[in-house]
Formats: sequence, C-alpha cells, structure tokens
Amino acid sequence: MMKLLPTGFMDRFLGRGSAALTVPPLDGALKPNNLLEELPKGIAATAPDDIVLWNDAPLWSDAGKLVSQGGVLVEMSSDITALAVCGSNLAVATLQDGLLLLDSALQPITPEWSAPIQNITALATASDNDLWYCTGSETCTPTEWRRDLMEMNRTGHVGRIDLTTGEVRVLKRQLGYPAGIVVLPNGHVVFSETWASHLVEMSPEGKVLGHVFDEIPGYPGRITRRIGGGYWLCIFAPRSPLVEFVLREPAYRKAMLKEVAPEFWVAPNYRSGASFSEPMQGGALKQMGVLKPWAPTWSYGLVVALDADFIPTSSFHSRTGGRRHGITSSMEHDGKLWLTGRGSGEILNIQLQTEGSKT
Amino acid sequence: MTAPVVELLNVTKEFHGNAAIKDVTFDLMPGEVHSLLGENGAGKSTLTKMIAGVYEPTNGEVHYMGNTVEFTSPQEALENGISMVFQETSLVPSLTVAQNLELGNEKLLNRLRGLYISSQQFLQSLNFEVDPTTLVSQLGAAKKQMVEIARAVRHDAKVIIFDEPTATLTPEEKYHFFQLVKRLKDQGVSIIFISHALEEALQISDRITILRDGQHVITDEVAAFDRDTIIRHMVGRNLTDELYGDDDGQARKSRPAGKRVLSVQNLSMGSLVRNTSFSVFEGQVTGVFGLIGSGRTEMFKIVAGILKRDLFHGGEVRLNGKPVRYRVPRPAIHDGIIYVTEDRKLEGFFETKSIAENIYSGLVGADLNKSKVISYSEMAELTKIWTERLNIKAIDNDSRVIELSGGNQQKVVLAKALVQRPKLIILDEPTRGVDVGAIAEIHAVINELAESGLPVVMISSYLPEILSLSDRILVSRLGRIVEEFSIDEATDEKILYAAVH
Repeated sequence: MMKLLPTGFMDRFLGRGSAALTVPPLDGALKPNNLLEELPKGIAATAPDDIVLWNDAPLWSDAGKLVSQGGVLVEMSSDITALAVCGSNLAVATLQDGLLLLDSALQPITPEWSAPIQNITALATASDNDLWYCTGSETCTPTEWRRDLMEMNRTGHVGRIDLTTGEVRVLKRQLGYPAGIVVLPNGHVVFSETWASHLVEMSPEGKVLGHVFDEIPGYPGRITRRIGGGYWLCIFAPRSPLVEFVLREPAYRKAMLKEVAPEFWVAPNYRSGASFSEPMQGGALKQMGVLKPWAPTWSYGLVVALDADFIPTSSFHSRTGGRRHGITSSMEHDGKLWLTGRGSGEILNIQLQTEGSKT
Repeated sequence: MTAPVVELLNVTKEFHGNAAIKDVTFDLMPGEVHSLLGENGAGKSTLTKMIAGVYEPTNGEVHYMGNTVEFTSPQEALENGISMVFQETSLVPSLTVAQNLELGNEKLLNRLRGLYISSQQFLQSLNFEVDPTTLVSQLGAAKKQMVEIARAVRHDAKVIIFDEPTATLTPEEKYHFFQLVKRLKDQGVSIIFISHALEEALQISDRITILRDGQHVITDEVAAFDRDTIIRHMVGRNLTDELYGDDDGQARKSRPAGKRVLSVQNLSMGSLVRNTSFSVFEGQVTGVFGLIGSGRTEMFKIVAGILKRDLFHGGEVRLNGKPVRYRVPRPAIHDGIIYVTEDRKLEGFFETKSIAENIYSGLVGADLNKSKVISYSEMAELTKIWTERLNIKAIDNDSRVIELSGGNQQKVVLAKALVQRPKLIILDEPTRGVDVGAIAEIHAVINELAESGLPVVMISSYLPEILSLSDRILVSRLGRIVEEFSIDEATDEKILYAAVH
C-alpha cells in the first residue's frame, strides 16, 4: 500500500524521511563550550565579513572597506562579500561591481570577465592565476542569505576563473547556497553547500566525489586551511527544528516573507536576542530568570577544526545568550586564529596552543 | 525511645558465593519514613526483599516486632503485616483492577459488583484515578504502579516497602502519593522508601540509609544530609579501586574520534525514549550511563531493530549518513549492527546447546557460514579460534552453555556477536553477573575492538566500568541523552548528578 502512494506524501503523513524535523546534535568534537565567549575584546568593526593574510598581516573586509590593523586601506563603492589573495594580487568580490582584482598597491587591474559574476560568497586560490569562486544564489545577494534560505532556492553555483584571460567556467550548478570553498593538496576542491548542511568534494573538472562532512548541526560557511594539515570551518548560523518545520510549510513561509519584517522572520541570523519581538521557539527560554544554555537560539558562534579527512577534532563555541555569534571567516597565522565576528562586530583572535590545535 | 518494628542484625546475602549484601545492620522505627539510597546494584532491593520474605539471609537475623522471624514467602510476610511494592509490577494482567486489589484475600465466591464499588471507594479515598473495572493489562505503567501501591495499603500493612514507586508517576500523581505516605505515617505505618530521586527522599524521609556495594555506609536523620553529601556517600568507593586500579595522576587519554558512524536524531518510542539525539564515532568506546528505566537500552534496541520507533514522527537513525529503519534485527545484523544483550539468559544464547553450537548459530544468523548446510568442521574451527581468543574455559566445547559460569557465558555471547563481523557493536551491561577475572578479560576485548577502529557502544550501570573504558560518556535520563562528558572532565559525581537531575 505504501508503494501506491507517493513517498513525499507518506513521509509527510508519518513525519519521517524528508519530513523528519530532525537536527543533528552538537556532540563529540562539536560539544558546546564557551571558548569564543571567553576571548578578550577584539578589534571593533561594523560588518566584518572575510579575512585573509595580506603582506604577512591580517586584512579584513568591513562592509565596503578593506581594513588592516593599521587602519582603512581602501574603500569600495559597495559592500565586500569575499576576499582572496592570488600571488601578489588581491581578488575582491563586491555587491554591485562583481569580482574585482587589485594589484599589490591595491589599484584595480580587473580584466574583462568572459561572463558576469555576481553574488560571490567565497573565493579560493588554486594557483596565482587560478581562482575558484562560489556564487550563493542567482536571485539573492549575499546580504540576503536569509531570504535565499526561506525561499529554498537552489540556484547557487561553483566555478573557476582564469585571472590572465578572464575566462569564467561554471562547473557545478543548482546548489543550495555554496558559501565556502577550499582547494585540497591533490587539486580537488571542497565546498560547503550551506542549505544542505554538508561539505562536498569535487574534482577540478566538476565531478562531485561525495560528501566529506555531512549532518552538520548548523549552516557551514567558509573553509580555510589549518597550518600543519586540516581545515577550519566557520558555521555562521545554527539549524533549529523550528526553522526546519517552517521550511516544510510553504504557505506560512511565503506569507511570512511577504508580511513580516526580515528581522522578525523565523529564520537563523548572525545575531539575535536584541528585541523582545523576535520569535521564540517552544516555550520559555529562561528559568528562574536565567537563560537556559540549551535554549533554542537564532544565532550561534561556531568554528570547527577539521583534520585532513574533514573529521572534526575540536571546536570553539559561543552559545545561546552569548555575543560572539555569526563567525563568518577564519584565518590562521603565526599561532593565532583570526576570526571575523559578524554578530558582535569584532575581529577576534585566538592564541592557539600548538599550530592548528585547540587552545 | 520505642523499639524498632523491623531490625536487621548483621545480615549477609550471597548469590552463588557473591555477596549482594554484606554484614548490614538496619532498623525501622514505628511511624517512620526511612529512605534507602544507593547506586544501581548497591543492594537496596536485596535488603528489602529479605524483610519482605522474598529472600532469606545467608547470615544474620531479621527481627520483626521484637521477635526473630524467618519468612519463607512474601505471602507469609504479608500476613504478618509487611507489604512490598515491587519494582517489577506483580499484578495479574488478565484480571481487573478490583480483582487484583482483592487478590490474596478473596472468598470462595465473589460478587463482582460489590467488589467494584468497594474498590472504587477505596481508590478514590487514595485520590488515585483508576477505573476498577479495567483489565490491568490495559493500564499504563503509572496506573499499574498506583494499583500496586493501593494493594499494599489495602492489606493494612504495618510496614510498607516502596521500591522506586515514583519513577513512572507524573508530578501530580507524585503529589498524591506523598500525601498518601504522610497519611499512612500518621496512622503509624512504617515505610521504607527506595528511590533514585534524591529530592524526593530528602522531602519525605525521617531518616536516610545509604548503601554502597552491598555495604552499609551511613544512617542518619534527614537533616544531616543534602544532595551533595548523599551523592558523595553513594559513589565514594574504596573497594573498587583495587579492582580497577586507580593510577593517580595518570589521566587516561581518550582515543581520537573517527568518522561519525551512527547519528540518532529525535528518536522516540512511547514514553521510554523521548526525542533523543546522539552520535557514535569510529575507533572509540562510547560509554552510556543511566539509571535503570532511563531508556538507554531501548534507544540502542531501536537502532539494532529489536524494538520499533514510533510510527509517527519517531525520528531518524542514520548509519554512515544513510537513514535506516529496521523492523527486525536481521537486516541490522546484515548491515553490521550487533547488539549484545544485557539479559543473556533470556536473549543471549541457547542455554541447552553447546558452546560450539551457540557460536556457530551467530554465524548462521548473520548468513556468513560458508557451506549451505550446517558444517561441523566449520563449527569446530570457529569455536577453536574464539575459545582461544576470548579464553572461554570449559571442560570441552560440547558442554552446554547453561553449565558455564557467568563470565564464560558472557564470553560465549560475546563470541557469538563477534563472529557476525560487527561494524558497530553495542554491548549492554557486558560485565553484569560476571566474575572479576572475566571482567578484566572482557574489558581487554572491548579496548581491543575500539583500537581496531570499530565503533563500540558500552551501556553500563557501573560507574567505574564507564570511567575506566569509555572515551566519551553519554548520560541518559528519562529517555533522553542529557549530557556528554569527555573522559578528562568526567567524575563519578558529575555523571551521577547528570543522571539524577
């Protein structure tokens, strides 16, 4: 009898399979701690997004500005959405002008691209002239990632750019918001398919080889290399059963997108808890006036250390009620892990005990 | 001071030479609520069963109302005014509630109508909302417990022993139960109260006695205790250090976690497993601790296909990233999920078959036998390998499993599981009822399995075992995994605290 009915219907009826409102637990190496919360105050920023190593020092984007520890270096006409260092040049993705290439003096030397590139969420260099990029969505800009999630779009793609000729090749389409990419030592790439909460390995020719890390309890973003082997993965927002539920209720979801202000959507965010009008999930968050550490939250701070096989080994957290939420990118340099904290508006750094390890 | 109603003087109870209770002295005053606390297996039930006539002490004396007594059956104890409410309910499922209440003092001919009316009145007087005409088999666990309690009260007992009465009750039912206890106390009834809920014990007792490893630790007025001191008395163990070797300062390093093999999300089954989520990783021993009834066995039985999850919104089990749902164990065994039972006598082996036949049956069960028919040469070869590897001691391999000691029986069960080439092995109470020497050998096997890269789940009620073997410790409470510890942060106190709160 089950065979006669479509599986989608049976799944919805029985609450299983594609209709199971399950979120994987934060356990094992992802066991919650307060390490991000305990960090000293970082460098203030308004909307930090990506961080790279430029001239042996950290360089980060803050809305439309490129900032180093010395101060603002350059200001773009629109927000910066991703950065990558290609030899002596710097690739900068912006909201309005697409991908720009700057030379070592940060002067534009952008070649003519063979196809328009928009909505870039992440960049990774394979060699000085070979750049991989992720476009999160064809319809939503990276600042509208929450809308993209709520519309359940699968319009992102991963592609490759030759910086000398300007040739753009799209290698994999119809992805659920790819938002992080890293090139492996063997030339393959691993990118995060954010709305599917997994990391995908792909050959340089665009053949998908499988999921290297799946069932992630949050939305994975940028991936960077760890010194001494392995990777850092920033998980910029948490998954929650309520969001999973809303995603399975199209009528409610569409009405919400149309009628409710974005800051009060039932959707994850970089930061939360600022307004009492925010939606709450399943009853009380507080007991005897104390916020429960396991209370459902719209935002979370999580950076995961992965080994060379993408198996998590340790993690840094900022839990419910914390401020260091929405960590969007990381960069390891000189025994320190630099992080852009979008939720708290800070550039943080963690002193690593040994290179690539947990403090 | 008045004389105690019940007095146990230096009692010892041995089962096959293993002392469950060692030299314990205990007394119960008239009109007193006396709580008995201790870990699983501390001997609380055994001690009270000696009072209620279920067991006879191996040594020592039981005094009741000032006289030495030797009850040979619970019925005899009941006639003398000692009533025990058992952990495992002892009601007759095919009779109605009223009939069960009347059971034991029924007349030759009974009029059901009168019986139902009097039972109804009686149950209402206790504030227990149970319909006296329903069959006991149709009642839930909590209602059964209420009937059980009502039955004890009805017999006008002078001593009532409650063995974990509140585990299945809702807060409101608990409130009524506590009111009942107070009323009984005012009537001069003495009550022994066994519970894992320390708060309850602190709330209703006059005195508290703590047992540990079958020995008496402390008896004192309730005012002398708080939650922390009780836990300390419950776990502070000196005995077991000898057994498990306490390398001071030599912190055990946990094995690094490998790939996630099993991911359980939001799994539910009735009221026993409630929305639990956890993961199991390769190359590690994942210890699962929980008090009895906390659903830890059930969680893993669902994973292994022995029990079924709820049909509606029952959650997901993912094995190596793929969702699986087994309705029977066979496909689970084919996928390499091997569950080693805690109740080996019932579920673990064919007791009248030989060691060889039992081990071979595991192989046949997993369809791994080479020949299409039963091959005695394959059986002999297999048995030779595994008896040597696990050091199973028997006169010969044709001796029946029932004739072996507990330790050797457990090794046969383990061998039977290991021949099935597990990819995920779940060991439920691997050393229950096993002698000390065999415990060490079984522990060595478990460590070996984890080091070979296999994901091992070890469910145990025995804290030192959990602490000495696990790399990660999960604590379950009320059908849910509530806490995870890494081995460097786990202590007896922390684990027990998580398990009872």
